[in-house]
Amino acid sequence: MLGYNEKLVLLKLNEVKKARIEELVKLTGLEQVAIMRALLTLEKEGLAKISERKERIIRLTDLGRKYIQMGLPEIRALNVLKSKKKVKLDELRGVLTEDELKPIVGILRKEGWVKVEKTPEGLVLEITERGENPEERPIDKALKILSEKEYATSEEISKIVPINELKRRKVAQEEEVVERIAEITEKGVELVKKGIELKREVTSLTPELIASGKWREVEFKPFNIKAPVKKIYPGKKQPYRVFLDKIRRKLIEMGFIEITVDSLIETQFWNFDALFQPQNHPAREWTDTYQLKYPEKGYLPNRELVERVKEAHERGLAGSRGWGYVWSPERAMFLMPRAHATALSARQLAKGIEIPGKYFTIQRVFRPDVLDRTHLIEFNQIDGFVAAEDLTFRHLLGILKKFAIEIAGAKKVKFFPDYYPFTEPSVQLSAYHPELGWVEFGGAGVFREEMTKALGIDVPVIAWGIGIDRLAMFRLGIDDIRYLFSYDLKWLREAKLIW
Amino acid sequence: MPKFDVAKSDLERLVGREFSVEEWEDLVLYAKCELDDVWEEDGKIYFKLDSKDTNRPDLWSAEGVARQIRWALGLAKGLPKYEVEESDVVVYVDKKLRNIRPYGVYAVVEGLKLDEEALSQLIQLQEKVALTYGRRRREVAIGIFDFDKVKPPIYYRAAEKTEKFVPLGYSEEMTLEEILEKHEKGREYGHLIRDKPYYPLLVDSEGNVLSMPPIINSELTGRVTTETKNVFVDVTGWDLRKVMLALNVIVTALAERGGKIKRVKVIYPDFEITTPDLTPKEFEVSFEYIRKLSGLELSNEEIKELLERMMYEVEILSENKAKVKYPAFRDDIMHTRDVLEDVLIAYGYNNIDPEEPKLAVQGRGDPFKDFEDAIRDLMVGFGLQEVMTFNLTSKEVQFDKMNIPEEEIVEIANPISSRWSALRKWLLPSLMEFLSNNTHEEYPQRIFEVGLATLIDESRETKTVSEPKLAVALAGSGYTFTNAKEILDSLMRHLGIEYDIEETVHGSFIPGRVGKILVDGKEIGIIGEIHPQVLENWNIQVPVVAFEIFLKPLYR
Repeated sequence: MLGYNEKLVLLKLNEVKKARIEELVKLTGLEQVAIMRALLTLEKEGLAKISERKERIIRLTDLGRKYIQMGLPEIRALNVLKSKKKVKLDELRGVLTEDELKPIVGILRKEGWVKVEKTPEGLVLEITERGENPEERPIDKALKILSEKEYATSEEISKIVPINELKRRKVAQEEEVVERIAEITEKGVELVKKGIELKREVTSLTPELIASGKWREVEFKPFNIKAPVKKIYPGKKQPYRVFLDKIRRKLIEMGFIEITVDSLIETQFWNFDALFQPQNHPAREWTDTYQLKYPEKGYLPNRELVERVKEAHERGLAGSRGWGYVWSPERAMFLMPRAHATALSARQLAKGIEIPGKYFTIQRVFRPDVLDRTHLIEFNQIDGFVAAEDLTFRHLLGILKKFAIEIAGAKKVKFFPDYYPFTEPSVQLSAYHPELGWVEFGGAGVFREEMTKALGIDVPVIAWGIGIDRLAMFRLGIDDIRYLFSYDLKWLREAKLIW
Repeated sequence: MPKFDVAKSDLERLVGREFSVEEWEDLVLYAKCELDDVWEEDGKIYFKLDSKDTNRPDLWSAEGVARQIRWALGLAKGLPKYEVEESDVVVYVDKKLRNIRPYGVYAVVEGLKLDEEALSQLIQLQEKVALTYGRRRREVAIGIFDFDKVKPPIYYRAAEKTEKFVPLGYSEEMTLEEILEKHEKGREYGHLIRDKPYYPLLVDSEGNVLSMPPIINSELTGRVTTETKNVFVDVTGWDLRKVMLALNVIVTALAERGGKIKRVKVIYPDFEITTPDLTPKEFEVSFEYIRKLSGLELSNEEIKELLERMMYEVEILSENKAKVKYPAFRDDIMHTRDVLEDVLIAYGYNNIDPEEPKLAVQGRGDPFKDFEDAIRDLMVGFGLQEVMTFNLTSKEVQFDKMNIPEEEIVEIANPISSRWSALRKWLLPSLMEFLSNNTHEEYPQRIFEVGLATLIDESRETKTVSEPKLAVALAGSGYTFTNAKEILDSLMRHLGIEYDIEETVHGSFIPGRVGKILVDGKEIGIIGEIHPQVLENWNIQVPVVAFEIFLKPLYR
């Protein structure tokens, strides 16, 4: 696609067939750079050829240019003579400099323009017949040519006047230059013959061009569509949160009901005791669990529920012999940032559930860890349960397998015996992810009857939790877990889309 | 949870068969372990095993794992049998220990030939049991002594803090008090007895000290080597049931190495017992319960066989009932469920066909979350980048750096770092922290977060409430109050909610360019230009304008 400049250059070139760049400047009125750019495009299209030639050229000196304006000294002297016919040499000082005055008599006499007479007052010059009607001399002709263009070839000038004469008179100098010559090709000539429409070229389409309809008369300057552009950043959702949103939608599709929650803080009662975790359990040690300094303690739920939990711990419920220790209500009142989302399952079970029912929550939980590339101080847990009459261990494995396929995109699953204080039997799920290989993807189990009975539920309840951090890190292309909660704006701005 | 190292060759010697590493990966599942790591050292292959069960210390060593696998493979079945002989060793327990560390139980194991592997397993088991099952020695501490250097009878007594002995690893006598101060183990475990009037001490008839439980053995008797033939085992703690279980775990592991267990009489001020007691324990289970919850069609006979491979002895009482006996080194069976899990492990989790339950249920999300999503979409439409920051923060970030006086806030008693010692009560400081981290990045920076602010609310069970909020911050030269208000105004129009802005004073904002956001006359947020003092505190060199509002009042 030829632009305005290309077309213009081609048309002009077609007129002369062959031209130096400088000539094209005159012909097109374009800048030399624009012509070169146009010629390069034309050459790429095979419409013109550019060749280079080394050449000796003649160019006016500063003195030469001055003489073009003022006339050569002999011409200026002759003009005085033409009007006064006879002058004393001294009288020429008005139009000549001292330097010019010295050789002037010789030049004028050589041209046969004056007669010279010696008098006591000095030399007196009288114009001759030839002087009255001088012929155009070679030097004048050469200077005229040189004055019309920037320079001329030595070859051309030497046909008119010996180069040495110009050099001797210091009006011109000789140089060697590289000359670019453009020549139209046959293909170019053909194209011009077919007709080229030359329209005004514009850079932007303005409202005025549209309104006036003038857009029909212009041509749009082609853009370099490959040129790099400035980076811009859109508003975007946080990528990890998008990932979690996606899992949330998936779980709802899979028939799960979202558990609602109103605080990040939990009593130990709901975090541990309601989950049948004995009060001396290692996970409840000061080093493994946060405690609050303020507020320090919360309230226990209704007495009946608390009594059942106490009984489950101390003597056992539902055919269990219990942990066999003295359960402290005081201990259960301590507050802590919620350490696992299972606490919310316990709350939901106590609040009442639909049977059959499938529940989930995506919740921020807290563990006393040091923040580094593999540990977070708080993170999101995806957790829930399925409650129904006649649920079996095979169902538990079935639910886990479904998670692995639907959420992790796994092809194969493997189950391992596991242990949680609140489930028995317990399972750990490993999923075979096509790119990550075997990944620990979750844990599950059937809530212990000591727990569900205490919370007032009489059907088997399958508890599950899925670990999505490695999967999220893979999807987000990161190997530092801190980027899940990135404080790095550049990273967020550049983060790839996930959906 | 407990992880321990075993040599593949040692396991194979104990099982009596050799397997490939891949086969071992599956075999250890019978012992509720996962093969965490495999490596080679001095031409031997080692495994790191991760035991899943914090209540099964019998499975935390090569002996226990190999034992379970032998049974699972059918090389043995039913209850493991250990011969226990009488000895004339007596231990007297001092009544003054009642409030110091009341219980000690003991055993003698003779005829040992411990090689390096066996010795390292013994030490590792002893450590893991005391650490995890024994709650860092508080509930269970174990000492093992060269019995040939001990002269019974033995006394477990309360000792003055000035008494002396040479602790393991030292050559000089130290007082008990010095040991707590100077010895590595004294410093680590000293808190368990430091404030007691006396310290526990185990001494023999010649007055030689065996150990200061639960801190350290003596150099004289407490060094067990590959030369040691006969050992004396001491387990102390607060709960007789727990210490007896730990003793059973240790002595049966030693018996797996060919040791002969001998009983010791322990005389307490008001009763006496003979330990170890390896009498199997009993539990009654229902076959129907196991069949129903497992989802497997197993006959009573099949269940019996599976349990025998898990070291149970099963006596079928009726069509539905069985009495199961399980080894004395276990104490984790509370409910039929615990027996059921062993049936499933013996069957093999990966031999069970998963079945998706067909339930007629309809999923539904929390509608408020959908509302939050709509707000987030709108903010993204304004060209804002969403961020997700931590709820954990500090008073410094929430108040000092924001140029406002300290207020009531939810605080952590035992933070890992003061940086993460409180739960945020407003979100803007998190956004300021975010901007402060990105001052080298191209401006303008336009960010928002929908997150929780945790507030005190005495009326609630947790005395707190975590309220969903929206916070927006725009940073860049040229931003003014108007830019923040444009977004707020657009948000409100999109929600169809009338609002008002009322002049106020707030240390975080420039006076005269800050307002309370009111809806129905109630304050729901704040908007303004961040005060240059706050910008300086956060090392931010461009203007920041921001607002923060509660979302619940906007949800209609």
